[in-house]
Amino acid sequence: MSAVRRYLKAHRMTVVDVPAWILGMLASVLWIAPFIWMVSTSLKPREQVMTRYVEWLPSSVVIDNYVKVFEQPVARWALNSFIVSIAATAIGVLLGAMAGYALARLHFPGKRLVFGVLLASLMIPTEMSVVPLYIAFLNVGLTDNYVAIVLPSIASVFSMYIFRQFFLGFPKEIEDAAAIDGASRLGTFFRIALPLARAPAIAATILLFTANWNAYLWPLLIVFTEQMKTLPVGVAQFAPVTGAHTQISGFGPAMAAVTLLSIPSLGVFLLLQRYFIEGVTRSGIKG
Amino acid sequence: MHQAVGARRGRHRITWQGARIDWSGYAFVLPFVVPFLLFTIGAILFGAFVAFTDWGIVGQPEWVGLKNFQEALSDPLLGKAFFNTFRYGLIVVPGVTILGFLFALFVNQRWPGYLFARFAFYAPNVVSATVIGLVWVWMLDTQFGIVNQYLGLRIPWLTSTDWALTGVSIASIWWDLGLAFVLFLASLQEIDPEVKEAAMIDGASRWQSVRYVILPLVRPVLSLVITLQVISTLRIFSQVHVMTNGGPASASSSVIHYIYNFGIIKFRLGYASAIALMLFVVILVITIVHRRVIRERI
Repeated sequence: MSAVRRYLKAHRMTVVDVPAWILGMLASVLWIAPFIWMVSTSLKPREQVMTRYVEWLPSSVVIDNYVKVFEQPVARWALNSFIVSIAATAIGVLLGAMAGYALARLHFPGKRLVFGVLLASLMIPTEMSVVPLYIAFLNVGLTDNYVAIVLPSIASVFSMYIFRQFFLGFPKEIEDAAAIDGASRLGTFFRIALPLARAPAIAATILLFTANWNAYLWPLLIVFTEQMKTLPVGVAQFAPVTGAHTQISGFGPAMAAVTLLSIPSLGVFLLLQRYFIEGVTRSGIKG
Repeated sequence: MHQAVGARRGRHRITWQGARIDWSGYAFVLPFVVPFLLFTIGAILFGAFVAFTDWGIVGQPEWVGLKNFQEALSDPLLGKAFFNTFRYGLIVVPGVTILGFLFALFVNQRWPGYLFARFAFYAPNVVSATVIGLVWVWMLDTQFGIVNQYLGLRIPWLTSTDWALTGVSIASIWWDLGLAFVLFLASLQEIDPEVKEAAMIDGASRWQSVRYVILPLVRPVLSLVITLQVISTLRIFSQVHVMTNGGPASASSSVIHYIYNFGIIKFRLGYASAIALMLFVVILVITIVHRRVIRERI
């Protein structure tokens, strides 16, 4: 008994806290359970997917479902997704860093106006610009390629904001020293300021990469051929209502497909959890 | 805004507000501002124009004045989509807010296992709508879905007009909760622990300290979370598209889904723009009201 007491005390708990603790842990297990069910289903042999009673563990681990997934051009979709997400993220972080740096550091007329307009634009939901962009892109013939998918998302206000906040608190002396050495503004930025902006760069990269990796509506609209689909749009065909794959082959392949789709974002999140949460709160709470 | 009061005193000494102007500032901002003006501001203005035209996929736009808006107001299916979107809000917003707050309270205690709990509560937020949609279509399957199996019921979650909206809402709460959770957690961590200890010493029960000490302190974040969630629920689309495609019989359609299904797919782009504009006005009003309320409270 005293061992329990000591354990509780070491964790700043009392006996009355135990029910709340059990409840909280149950909730967290419940919250993660759909992912476990997803992975478990994806590894099950076909005849075990639809069973009379819930079976959490595969009777034998098989990769049949994954093989079935690759009957679709999933590798191509994944390649598309990687190219598009990496390009959009790299450009978005760079442009955001430059704009955020200038708006925090440099002194020029109109900068408050620019910042005000950019912040106000956060109220505009992206879906609002989707229809006009679709018309415009169709009319100039910019469809069904990487550029068309990437272009609308390169100017990310979140990215700009994260960098601006960072550079506002960046010691001026470091740059002044470089300026005395005769470095240009651009040189100072790329050689001195940007390499030191690791934390906002990681936060912005994570935010933009997951947003781009998960983007759905725009790629759904602007891509017309099977070969150019991104992973979320392509894999959605395994849904019973929008595609027909599941009706034919059951939920095993569908779960294998979404397991593959969620690995990059869940993996990045698992490894960089701290930056993730910091980035979200920094851009959300103080914005 | 502040006008340039630059006085020319030689080539490099143009000043503004008493300091030298960094002309390179424009070079830094321009690569960002140009695509921003094109793809955000330009797109919105263009959309406002298109809303007053008839524009099919081929041919020129034809100015039709308010016709699209008149049609929208008397379109029963669009009315249904707006009504459904409102119902999504009634389920998802309180669900996300209340659960997000409770989960944040729990994780903030830093009891054993809190790191796992923090991971679990936020994880669904990082995956795409396709993952959310498909996992829940499978879990909510009427016959073999794990939810019905555990409940011992046969609820047709996604295939009946009575339940489809509820089914999609459950998945949406699971997906959206992470953001609210993290925002609440950050604000709880900013509360001075001494404030809570003082309440404990004064003999406040756990419930009392949450109700009278913590809740007032997180009120600004509470309001932020509710507004963000209302706006994001008004935009609900991807999970609807993946899970039910608005069906059965439009029972789970939403405004953006309607724009997609009856505007874009059928190439009625003017009509789609008009509906988008109407939704935008609703979101704008909510944002402005929210700002007012916040300003009055602080």
